[in-house]
Amino acid sequence: MPDLPCLKNYQMKHALLYTVLFLLLLVGCSKEDDPVFDQAADERINETLAQCQATLAGAAHGWNARIVTGTGGIFHFHFRFNNANRVTMYADIDTTTAGTARESSYRLKALQQPSLIFDTYSYLHLLADPDGSVNGGNDGEGLRSDFEFAIDSVTADSILLSGRFNGTQVTLYRCSDADAAAWQNGSWRNALAFQYIGYIPEYFKRLTLSVSSYDIRIHQQRRTITFMWLDAGNQLRSFTTPYYFSSEGMVLVHPFTNGSRTIAGLASEGWDAANTLLRVRTNGGTAGTINGATSPARPDREAPARWWQLAASQGGYWVSFNCFRVNGVEDAFQVRDLPAFAFLVFWPAFGTQGGITYDLLGFVFAAGTSLSIGYGAAWRPPVFTADGRVLFQLYGTLGTVPPDAAAAFNSTTALMADPEGFYLVQTGTLAYDMVSARDARSWITWEY
Amino acid sequence: MKIKLFLLLLLTLACEKDEPGNVDNIPGLGGDTWEPGPIDIWIHDSLTVPYNISAKYKWDQGELDLNRTLTPPREEKIIPVLSAIKKVWINNYVAVAGELFMKQYSPKFFVLVGSASYNPDGTITLGTAEGGRRILLYVLNNFRVKGMPGYVPPDSFNVKQLFHTIEHEFGHILHQQVLYTPDFKRISTGMYTSNWNNVSDAQANQDGFISAYAMSAPDEDFVEMISIMLVEGRSEFNNLLNRITGTSSNGTTAAQAREKLRQKEAIVVSYFRNVWNIDFYQLQTRTRNSINTLIK
Repeated sequence: MPDLPCLKNYQMKHALLYTVLFLLLLVGCSKEDDPVFDQAADERINETLAQCQATLAGAAHGWNARIVTGTGGIFHFHFRFNNANRVTMYADIDTTTAGTARESSYRLKALQQPSLIFDTYSYLHLLADPDGSVNGGNDGEGLRSDFEFAIDSVTADSILLSGRFNGTQVTLYRCSDADAAAWQNGSWRNALAFQYIGYIPEYFKRLTLSVSSYDIRIHQQRRTITFMWLDAGNQLRSFTTPYYFSSEGMVLVHPFTNGSRTIAGLASEGWDAANTLLRVRTNGGTAGTINGATSPARPDREAPARWWQLAASQGGYWVSFNCFRVNGVEDAFQVRDLPAFAFLVFWPAFGTQGGITYDLLGFVFAAGTSLSIGYGAAWRPPVFTADGRVLFQLYGTLGTVPPDAAAAFNSTTALMADPEGFYLVQTGTLAYDMVSARDARSWITWEY
Repeated sequence: MKIKLFLLLLLTLACEKDEPGNVDNIPGLGGDTWEPGPIDIWIHDSLTVPYNISAKYKWDQGELDLNRTLTPPREEKIIPVLSAIKKVWINNYVAVAGELFMKQYSPKFFVLVGSASYNPDGTITLGTAEGGRRILLYVLNNFRVKGMPGYVPPDSFNVKQLFHTIEHEFGHILHQQVLYTPDFKRISTGMYTSNWNNVSDAQANQDGFISAYAMSAPDEDFVEMISIMLVEGRSEFNNLLNRITGTSSNGTTAAQAREKLRQKEAIVVSYFRNVWNIDFYQLQTRTRNSINTLIK
């Protein structure tokens, strides 16, 4: 029988294997515990939450916060937290939110990070609301803001938060007595008096500062302001900047400069309801007013033809959902109250009859899942004046206007036929406002 | 062999752990807590104690779609919505079927959301439900009933939609307990389709369905019948049948469509009587009357 070296070798290997395993076992099951932290994770989270709670509720005058939404708007808030999951807040969204404290609920919660959740509806949620009619944002996303925040750091005077859904960065600053008083005594509310400019019945708004004046256009939901003026060479100039509010008034993100004058902010000096004008003061101390104007400093002379041609060249039409606003009354002729009414259309070169190619102001109605023009007013080809107005002349009625719609139809048609005509103001690439040239107190918004 | 035994012994000894560590204060264990306010007390007294139903109105992203922008409800809307639900849904079922029935079968968990849920296709979702237990209700912030400031007649659509969702889901719970007769599925054989979302309600009516969604499956057909008949009431159901005209694109005549809907109605009524001992028409009258007090 030959020697079996390999077998012997095999047994040796076995012994080695068991020794290694045995050693591994001893090492592997070592119960030596050397935690980096001296407390368990749960204890540390509870401690952090308790510390946040104490800090939040401990600020006698509450907290101020500045929030920049995902769409770029800058908003200020004032919070006061108590120990019973309730928070009271102000916000500079409008005069109501700035003037009336609202109580809602909050809680601290350990999510992936300690988090602060404003868990019932409050002023903060107005910015995040996905309903575009609440905040002027797009339906489905609102202004891309937050109400559920991860707490990044806490010190006695400031708390850093970041939104868990849209990533909004927010810093809470502990308020002084004066900070809190500015909300409670209505300073912020007064600062927001710019909102009342919406009550001025004329479409055009004019800022007059001593001898000079500027046409201004304020987009309240997007928070932008546009200045328009004629320069020394009689050329129309314009300047647009975002703005936000302070307890003093409006602050321009980019100061407006014209010659020697620089405007970095406008303080509100009070709304004069009797004369429908707002008194203001620039940061330089110059007093002025914002009031209505019946015509622009310089109409956009090409706008009417441009507006008409855009739809005509594509065989398309302009749409208005809100119909005419007259003397501050939305849909003054109650067109939207007509049963199944969908929208108004202005359809250039709609058809030809008697050798005349006419435009149509059509009343569109919903029928089941489809839309159709129920009836409309036909217009002769429009006249574009040299000074930038468009004149409409009635040609006839298309279809049959039912008796109960006659009032709405006739009022709308009569306004359109005003021999003074209309200015067209372009407000977007595919949006125009058509403003009565008679007194600028009636206008309609057209969208393509 | 000896070594192996020894190792085995060592193994059992070596890995013995004594304590699980400190686990007596895990944050959030057992659900979130807060100082109960009047709303919490109302929910507890009016829904949880009598019917074992809870309603979550405070924001909890974990209950909701993670990719939708939503908001919690306004506090002032919660009790009006829940008390409307109690009046229209719970009280009427209790009246015709008894307390025990409601305690046993009602869905147990409502999640309330303030905003609508905007879908990528531009539509909005008003309510969803899962597994007969959890019902999500959206657009609470627009909930207005007669007598509330700002109420306009189109708001009645939101109100009816709310009850449509609840009655629909409750219908599912009932048929999951005891299935309806298979005759029901034979009424519209071959017409159920996953393409229902491209069909208008009017077209669905022409084919003998109460709504487009009813075309998605027999179970949905059954509970859509229940919910629409309850919410709209008997006379509006009859009106709906009378409004059907013309022949559908599938070749169903108006008379055939009406006949199908009548057969479905008959099965629903006999199902409620035989299985649950409920007089469906009585329930329908009560439910519709309760809704009318909210919207008319």
